[in-house]
Amino acid sequence: MARRPARAAVPLARPLALLVLLGLSLAAGGCGERAASDAPVILVFKHAKILGPADPVPGLLRRFEGLHPGVRVQAEALTWSSDEQHQFYVINLEGGSPPFDVMMLDVIWVPEFARAGWILDLTPFVSPAERDAHFPTAIEPAVQDGRLWALPWFMNVGLLYYRRDLLAKYGFVPPETYEALVEQVRRIWAGEGDPRLDGYLWQGKQYEGGMVNVLEALWANGARLLDEQGRPFPERARAQESLAFLRGLIESGVSPAWVTAADEELTRRPFGDGRAIFLRSWPYALDLFEQPDSRVRGKVGVAALPRLGHGPVGAASTGGAHLAVSARTRHQALAVDLARFLTSELAQRAMTAGAALRPSRPRLYRDPALVARDPTLPALLGLMEKGHPRPITPYYLMLSTTLQPEFSAVLVGRKSPERAIHDGTAQVDHLLRAIRP
Amino acid sequence: MTDRRLGWLLLAPALAVLGGLTVYPALWVLWLSLQYRIPVFSIARWAGLEHYAFLAGDTRFWNAAGITVVFTSCSVALECALGLAIALGLRGQHRGRRVALALLLLAWALPSVVTAKMFEWLYHPAGGLVNFLLGGRIINWLGDPALALPALIVADVWRATPFVALLCYARLLTIPADLYEAAQVDGAAGLQAFARITWPLVRPILLVTLLFRTLDALRAFDIMFVLTGGGPAGTTETLTVYAYRALFQTLQVGFGSAIGVVVFALVMAVAVVYLRVIGRAERAA
Repeated sequence: MARRPARAAVPLARPLALLVLLGLSLAAGGCGERAASDAPVILVFKHAKILGPADPVPGLLRRFEGLHPGVRVQAEALTWSSDEQHQFYVINLEGGSPPFDVMMLDVIWVPEFARAGWILDLTPFVSPAERDAHFPTAIEPAVQDGRLWALPWFMNVGLLYYRRDLLAKYGFVPPETYEALVEQVRRIWAGEGDPRLDGYLWQGKQYEGGMVNVLEALWANGARLLDEQGRPFPERARAQESLAFLRGLIESGVSPAWVTAADEELTRRPFGDGRAIFLRSWPYALDLFEQPDSRVRGKVGVAALPRLGHGPVGAASTGGAHLAVSARTRHQALAVDLARFLTSELAQRAMTAGAALRPSRPRLYRDPALVARDPTLPALLGLMEKGHPRPITPYYLMLSTTLQPEFSAVLVGRKSPERAIHDGTAQVDHLLRAIRP
Repeated sequence: MTDRRLGWLLLAPALAVLGGLTVYPALWVLWLSLQYRIPVFSIARWAGLEHYAFLAGDTRFWNAAGITVVFTSCSVALECALGLAIALGLRGQHRGRRVALALLLLAWALPSVVTAKMFEWLYHPAGGLVNFLLGGRIINWLGDPALALPALIVADVWRATPFVALLCYARLLTIPADLYEAAQVDGAAGLQAFARITWPLVRPILLVTLLFRTLDALRAFDIMFVLTGGGPAGTTETLTVYAYRALFQTLQVGFGSAIGVVVFALVMAVAVVYLRVIGRAERAA
C-alpha cells in the first residue's frame, strides 16, 4: 500500500520515528505469547472473546486439562466482528488443514460448514439424552441431513424490552400485539409530553441484524421467508403487510427514522439513557441496563415480541454460538471431548454465572443458584422455547445478503414492499438456479 | 557475461517476487472469474464470460459502479484542495507547528476501521456530536439514502486529507526562500507568487498524491463496511463491498472474482491515465 508519507521532509522525521517505534513496540507485544510446551498434544480452540464480568473460559480449559493429563488447550481469540470471523474460517477451512481443532460458530453458519464438509459429524459421539438436554430450538439449526454437526454453547433470542415504570404509570401491561404497542406509545407520549422520548427502537441497518428484525416481522404476521421446497415468500401478501408495517412505524414516527441505520448498540444506548419506551434487542442488554450506574436500573422489563395480524406472539429469532470440530483435526476424540465438555451443564453454568450469557440447557433456567444471580432467567425460559431459528439452509448467508438491500430499500422508503419482494424473489431465483443443477 | 545479461540476472529476484506476489494471483483471479465456483456446494464448472454478461445487466453492479465513481471523485477532489490549503497554512504558521503536524499524523495513523467506528458515534442521530453542533436537530446521517454517501465522503476526507497535506507540505519546505524574495523584488506577491512559483513546483507532487489517493479511494472498503454496510438500500455499496459480499459472505468465488477483475481493470485504466499525465508534466517541466 502506498500510504506511508515516507518521502516527508526533515521536520516530520521525529513524529514519524515515534509512530514507527510505537508500531514496533505494539507488534513486539503480540509475539512471545506462544510459549513452547512439553505437552505431547495441543488442542487449539478458536473462539470470540467472551465479554462480561469474568471470563470463565480459561478456568474451564484448565479444568479440561486436569481431566486429560498430557493435553494442553490453547485458546485463540477470533476478531470481534461476525463477518470477519466467517471470512477467517472460510479462508482457513477451504485451503488445506486449518490451524485449529475446535471452533465457535455463529448458529447460521452450521449448515453451510456441514455442507462444505469442513466440520465433523458429531452424531456418533452425542447420545440422545445429551442432545435432548438442550432446547430443541438450539439443536435444530445444527442438524443437517439428519446428522448433528455442532453443539450449542450459548443461546440468544429476540426480546421486547419495555419501561416498566412508564407502562405501570399509565396502567398498561406489556403489549401482545403491535397495534397495542403503537397505542401505548401514543398514550404515553400524550401524557409525558417529552419530545426527546422515542417510541419503539429496533435494528433496521442493512446487515444481518436488520435481516433478523425483518424476519421477526414476517413471522409475527404468519409469513415465512422460504417454504419447504426452498421457494421464497410463500405467503407473499402477508410478507408485504409486514414490510409495510415496519415502514409505517417510521412514517408515523413511532420509531425514529434513524432506526434505518441502527444496530444493537446504537439502539441500546438511547434506551439505556431512558430515552425510549420500547426496544427490540437480545438478552445481553439486560445486564447492561441493570448496572449500578444505569439510568434505567430497575425500570426495565422484558416480554415476548408482539404479534401482527396472522402470526403468534413471541415469534422471535434465535441466535447464539455453537461449537464444532474441524473435519481435519488430528486429535478427533479429544477435540470432540473438548466440545462436549464446554457445552456440558457444568461449563454452561460457569458461562452463565461468569459471562452473563444465556445457556442452551433449559434445566439451568430453573437452577436456584443461577436464578438468584439473575432473576430474569425463568422468564427467558419460555421465550427461548418459542424462538424461531432463521431459515436452516446452507445458503442462508447468500439469501440474507441478497435480500438485505431490498428490505433496507423498503425501510428508507425507496421501494414499495411489492416492488422489493418482487425484485428480491427474482434475485433469489437467479441465485438458486446457479446452485441447483 | 554482457552488461545486459548481468542486468537481467540482478533483476531476476525482484521480478520473481513481483511475479509471484502480483502477477500470479491476478491471473488466478482472472481464471476463477471464468468459472462457476461455489466450494460449499462443490460447484466448479466452466462459465466462460457468463459472469461478465450477467454483470452487464446487473442493476446492483451498475449502482455500485456509479457510487464508486462519485465517492472517489468527490473525496479525492476535496482531499487535494483541503490538503494543499492546510500545507500552505502550515508553512505560514510559526507557533505550534510541531503540534499541528503531530495531530495531522494522528488522523492518518488511525486504522480506518477505528476512524469509521468513531464517525459512527459522531453521526449518531440522537446522541451524536454532529447533530448536537447543528443545534440538536435529529438528522439521520447514515440512514437517509440522500445523506449516507456524503457522510461517508466527509469521514474519508477527514482521514485522508493529512496524507495530502503532509506530502504537499514536504514539497513546500524544499522551495528555496530566495525564489520568493526575488519575486518580491520584482513586485510579484500574494496570489501572483502562488500562481508563478508555488503552484508549478507543487503540481508534480500533487499529481502523484492524486494518483495514490484515487487508487485508494477506488478500492475503499472499510469505511462503508463499518459505517453503513453498503446501506441504506444499497446507496453506499461500492464495487469492493459488492465483491466482498460475493466472495466472502456468499462464497461465490467465480462471480466475486469477476467483480474483482472489473475493479482491477478500472484501477489500472485510471493509473495509466494518471501516469501519462504525470509523464507529460515531467517532460514539460
